[in-house]
Amino acid sequence: MNGPLIVQSDKTLLLEVDHEQADACRRAIAPFAELERAPEHIHTYRVTPLGLWNARAAGHDAEQVVDALVEFSRYPVPHALLVDVAETMARYGRLTLSKHPTHGLVLTSTDRPVLEEILRSKKVQPLVGARIDPDTVAVHPSERGQIKQTLLKLGWPAEDLAGYVDGEAHAIELDETGWALRPYQKQAVEGFWHGGSGVVVLPCGAGKTLVGAGAMAQAKATTLILVTNTVSARQWKHELVKRTSLTEDEIGEYSGTRKEIRPVTIATYQVLTTKRKGIYPHLELFDSRDWGLILYDEVHLLPAPVFKFTADLQARRRLGLTATLVREDGRESDVFSLIGPKRFDAPWKEIEAQGYIAPADCVEVRVNLTDSERLAYATAEQEEKYRFCATTATKRRVTEQLVRKHAGQQTLVIGQYIDQLDELGEHLDAPVIKGETPNTQREKLFDAFRNGEISVLVVSKVANFSIDLPEATIAIQVSGTFGSRQEEAQRLGRVLRPKADGHKAHFYSVVARDTIDQDFAAHRQRFLAEQGYAYRIMDADDLLTGEDPVR
Amino acid sequence: MPEERGGSPRTLAEALRARDDEELAALLRARPDLLSPVPNDVTQLATRAGTRASVVRALERLDRFTLQTAEALAVAPDPAPYGTLLALMGGDDGDADVEAALPGALGVLRGQALVWGDDDKLRLVRTARELLAPSPTRPSPTGLGPTVTEATAGMSPGRLQEIVASAGLPTTHDPVSAVASLTALFTDRTRMATLLDTAPSDALAVLDRLVWGPPYGEVTADPTPPVRWLRDRGLLLPASPRTVVLPREVALHLRAGRAHRVPEPVPPAVTPAAEYGPQAVDNAAAGQAYTALTTVEDLLKDWHEGGPAVLRAGGLAVRDLKRTAAALDTSEQLAAFWIELAYAAGLLASDGEAEERYAPTPAYDEWLELPTAERWGELAVAWLTATRTPGLVGSQDAKGRTLSVLGPDLDRSAAVEVRRRVLELAAELLHGTAPAPESLLSRLRWERPLRGEAAGSTKDLRARVAAWTLSEAELLGVTGRGALSTHGRALLGGEGPGGGGTLADRRARAVKSLTPLLPEPLDHVLLQADLTAVAPGPLDRPLAETLAVLAEIESKGGATVYRFTPGSVRRALDAGMAASDVHTFLATHSRTPVPQPLSYLVDDVARRHGHLRIGAASAYVRCDDDAVLGEILADKRSQGLGLRRLAPTVLAAQSDPRTLLEGLRAMGYAPAAESTEGDVVITRAHARRTPPRTPPAPVPEGPPVPDSTLLGAAVKAIRAGDMAASVVRKPAAEEGRPPAGELPRTSSAETLATVQAAALTGSAVWIGYVNAEGAASQRVIAPVRVEGGFVTAFDHTADEVRTYPLHRITGVAELADDAL
Repeated sequence: MNGPLIVQSDKTLLLEVDHEQADACRRAIAPFAELERAPEHIHTYRVTPLGLWNARAAGHDAEQVVDALVEFSRYPVPHALLVDVAETMARYGRLTLSKHPTHGLVLTSTDRPVLEEILRSKKVQPLVGARIDPDTVAVHPSERGQIKQTLLKLGWPAEDLAGYVDGEAHAIELDETGWALRPYQKQAVEGFWHGGSGVVVLPCGAGKTLVGAGAMAQAKATTLILVTNTVSARQWKHELVKRTSLTEDEIGEYSGTRKEIRPVTIATYQVLTTKRKGIYPHLELFDSRDWGLILYDEVHLLPAPVFKFTADLQARRRLGLTATLVREDGRESDVFSLIGPKRFDAPWKEIEAQGYIAPADCVEVRVNLTDSERLAYATAEQEEKYRFCATTATKRRVTEQLVRKHAGQQTLVIGQYIDQLDELGEHLDAPVIKGETPNTQREKLFDAFRNGEISVLVVSKVANFSIDLPEATIAIQVSGTFGSRQEEAQRLGRVLRPKADGHKAHFYSVVARDTIDQDFAAHRQRFLAEQGYAYRIMDADDLLTGEDPVR
Repeated sequence: MPEERGGSPRTLAEALRARDDEELAALLRARPDLLSPVPNDVTQLATRAGTRASVVRALERLDRFTLQTAEALAVAPDPAPYGTLLALMGGDDGDADVEAALPGALGVLRGQALVWGDDDKLRLVRTARELLAPSPTRPSPTGLGPTVTEATAGMSPGRLQEIVASAGLPTTHDPVSAVASLTALFTDRTRMATLLDTAPSDALAVLDRLVWGPPYGEVTADPTPPVRWLRDRGLLLPASPRTVVLPREVALHLRAGRAHRVPEPVPPAVTPAAEYGPQAVDNAAAGQAYTALTTVEDLLKDWHEGGPAVLRAGGLAVRDLKRTAAALDTSEQLAAFWIELAYAAGLLASDGEAEERYAPTPAYDEWLELPTAERWGELAVAWLTATRTPGLVGSQDAKGRTLSVLGPDLDRSAAVEVRRRVLELAAELLHGTAPAPESLLSRLRWERPLRGEAAGSTKDLRARVAAWTLSEAELLGVTGRGALSTHGRALLGGEGPGGGGTLADRRARAVKSLTPLLPEPLDHVLLQADLTAVAPGPLDRPLAETLAVLAEIESKGGATVYRFTPGSVRRALDAGMAASDVHTFLATHSRTPVPQPLSYLVDDVARRHGHLRIGAASAYVRCDDDAVLGEILADKRSQGLGLRRLAPTVLAAQSDPRTLLEGLRAMGYAPAAESTEGDVVITRAHARRTPPRTPPAPVPEGPPVPDSTLLGAAVKAIRAGDMAASVVRKPAAEEGRPPAGELPRTSSAETLATVQAAALTGSAVWIGYVNAEGAASQRVIAPVRVEGGFVTAFDHTADEVRTYPLHRITGVAELADDAL
């Protein structure tokens, strides 16, 4: 009666971190509960049908789940909840997708009424073919993903036993000279490989590329890698050449500028989703080779058309990589059903404790608007309000002060609005990277920043993702995409590469007080706050007067 | 039948009289309806025990086996010896269980005065026999038909002899002996077997269909050969021109002597569904008990400031139930249960005002002050003894009205007994074992078969109440994971040490065993940097109340998760807390240091809280010279104006501008009124005007005055008419009677006088008369009576007495003497 877990009636689980059994409990509940929030004392997990089904898919049964809950719970677990868990888990596996020697892909049921129920659904009807026998119905092979997704929504998830194609074999080995996969990276690769397909969630800077490389070394097959932009594509290529047995010639880039198809091909989301005359001309890429593995980088950004293509690729192994599986459009469950369930998830603070990402000090600097600015803000049009308060002149002065304070350290100033960035660049005497900056120029500037030739860089949202800047220590965010939680986390991620001397990273978010900017900031910070990053709040006036409460 | 032995009773009264006091008391206990009013003597008692209503009531309370015994007696000869009854119940081959249980069942029947007489002459009370014995309209539960004697009553002797002959029996000289020999054949197993051996297989199939009832079969005018074969031998006897019946004796032979297909001497056992162990069960139940308390509290808190309105027909509107269910985050059915529970416990009631609403009662406040386990005790006892059945909510009564929560017609008197019985049955299992609900239900059905089945399977109230009991007991924490908990057992009493006692004793014991299982209230929370606070268990009430104001509740259960938002902090400040109070409160009750973002949030909200102040004023005084305003404020005479200084040059007043103006003028000032735009309002004597209006048009009396043209034409017309009239009238007046074919015309006074005179003299007069449709006629009448404007007269024209209104008579004339 004194366990570390409290089961709430809304199916959240509260785990007391400081409890002696906390670790054992965490291991016991991790297979079926999603970590939702991880602040300092009590972590919140949530039990969802999806989580329970994933646990079933991974070989856990309802008995284990109930036992874990009952064993670690401090208070009696509501009987209704236990019953609900058992009932939910029992829904999984009533339907199975499998290969039939003569009929191809078939959907089989052990429970005929369920099959009748789902066949009656208008959404399922177009996806299935002839009824083979009372318990079996043929499924069009191309609809494998679609039917899985539909069945999941109907609450009868199908167990996919149809397996994967091996794809065209291609020798890939990890070249672990002078480095080795970290334990959690190994776990992530194993977790993925064991599960077949799925998503690996690791904090920014924790080496997701290496997890990808590890997965490729396991698959030893031709691989298609989908990334967010060209810079990122080059980084992947660079990293793969460095960490694996692959050579430059084996890796192709498929982007707006180059269209190479090689055993390992790195393509950008943008080129895939380019639409000409109502068709996607580059879709053939998916069929151009017998891919054995498809890697989705930054899977939280997966554009809607790619979801659709992915649905058709269910026979191939898929690995999604992300740091922040939060989508403001709420399509997380689509990611899970199409790419695969979450196979590995590590809380940021845990990786930080292991020393693989730098500890960070997050500070929200509250800027008081001047009286004239306040008046102007009050009279601004509704749609202009955020832009106005996010780009006030006072912010500029605060930013300058912050840069001065951390002079000598590699500093990134990140913002949303180009004119604001240009102005900052001018005042700080720093180069600005924005959407219109050509790729060659970008890479040149990033290189100069990595080498320490430039110490301050002003960047727009083009640098939100996948830009590897190991030496960046200070990030100052002056404006953002409204309340985007993942953007905030990704921006923090820019400074999380562990530093050579182990010093702390600093993340400043400059926010205009008593405006909509403050509301958005609160929403943006939620993901990180839930990961255990505690924002301190600081008054800009204290900073400007030189009084420094920052230790 | 002559009575040989003096000891054997001849009537029920006699049998009852022979009982000792204790047995009589037991009878009255089992059938309390016999007691009201108290019978004068045993004869009256026996009479009453034989009334239909009372017997039905007693039969309904029998368990299945006892009822089966009574049913068997009803198809047995009257009186029946014990051996016959045993054969009917156990069959020809006997049944050990039946043999063991039968004396008990018979004992119950005797005890309830449904059966009387010695073992060799068992008699079922006549009313019971009528109720249970088969008749064509109401087949017996045994599925047996009438006896040969009953079925052949009224059959022609010739036909009877034919049957006897076909059955291979010698013919007899009268019908009675024929029936007797047929009965003897049917009851003789060996001869029957021989007879049936000769039957065609189709005939046996027909018998098979009828053997377990219903014993009636329809036949066509030209029956099939197998039916004919059976009918010829009396194995099927005609019940009506188109139906045949299987005689009871034949059926019994085919059933090997058994009256029931399945005698059920042993009650079906309540089987365990799962075993969790006492510890796990008690913990689960305690957890649920705690949840029940918080749910009821949440409900009443929700209705704290006045709950939903009472419907005119009583009860709660569906909309309000839905809203409450949403507030409690539960289904409507469960919400109904919680509401009814609180109602049964006296925690909420209608306020009885003109616009009736539900609200917590003063008892709720007392209840809140009780220790946790005591509070549960109140609810549990209220539940155990309540006749209200919230499970019925949403269903419809006989008149098609939907039953509403807290409404009338939710009381079911059987609920208490069923609820108790369900729990008792659950208590029979090993502690920590959950009963299988179906086995419980079949046991209940065994115990009260008539009441259950009479209502039909879907509307079987007892089964439904039993199902509700199981789920409600779980909700309330009387059971845990389906098994009865220690405190549940204590509440029920029952055997074992400390069992029994009054309800209050049992309640006290239950509360005592529950107390250590409930979590201790905590006095601290954990504050986190993501602006949440987690209370890892139930909180002290004052702490919980303050936190509920200071933060939003995000998740409930064993623990409570609170989230601080600017809105919630502002709410606390509005409620009178100062920022420093909040800081102290957080520091005192947090086990960990208060996170910086949280204290910043509190300060940030406090900084802006009350920055803008809003109040109501009816008027203001403005003056550039603040000395004058100071003077006004200092003046005693200004006290009644409710003035307050808002700024050096502004005073706010609670009195309206007019009063203020007059007041200040009275004080010797010369104030001027200001409009909303700030201009000075020039005041002159008020000259109130309407919007533009047109004067009223005169209303003339009568039609408009005609012009001269119209008048000229009219006069001309009148004149012409007048002329014509006077030409006709003169000769008519001289003649004294109108020419033939024309109505007589006289003035009304003349008419009255003439008619009255005629009435006096009894002579006939000639009248002109216009009827209601306006048709004119002439009649000869002899007036009898003239009164109230009517003439009653013998109408010679119609040859009957009629009544004429005087005003419809156009004129009257005396007849010539020779006219009639």
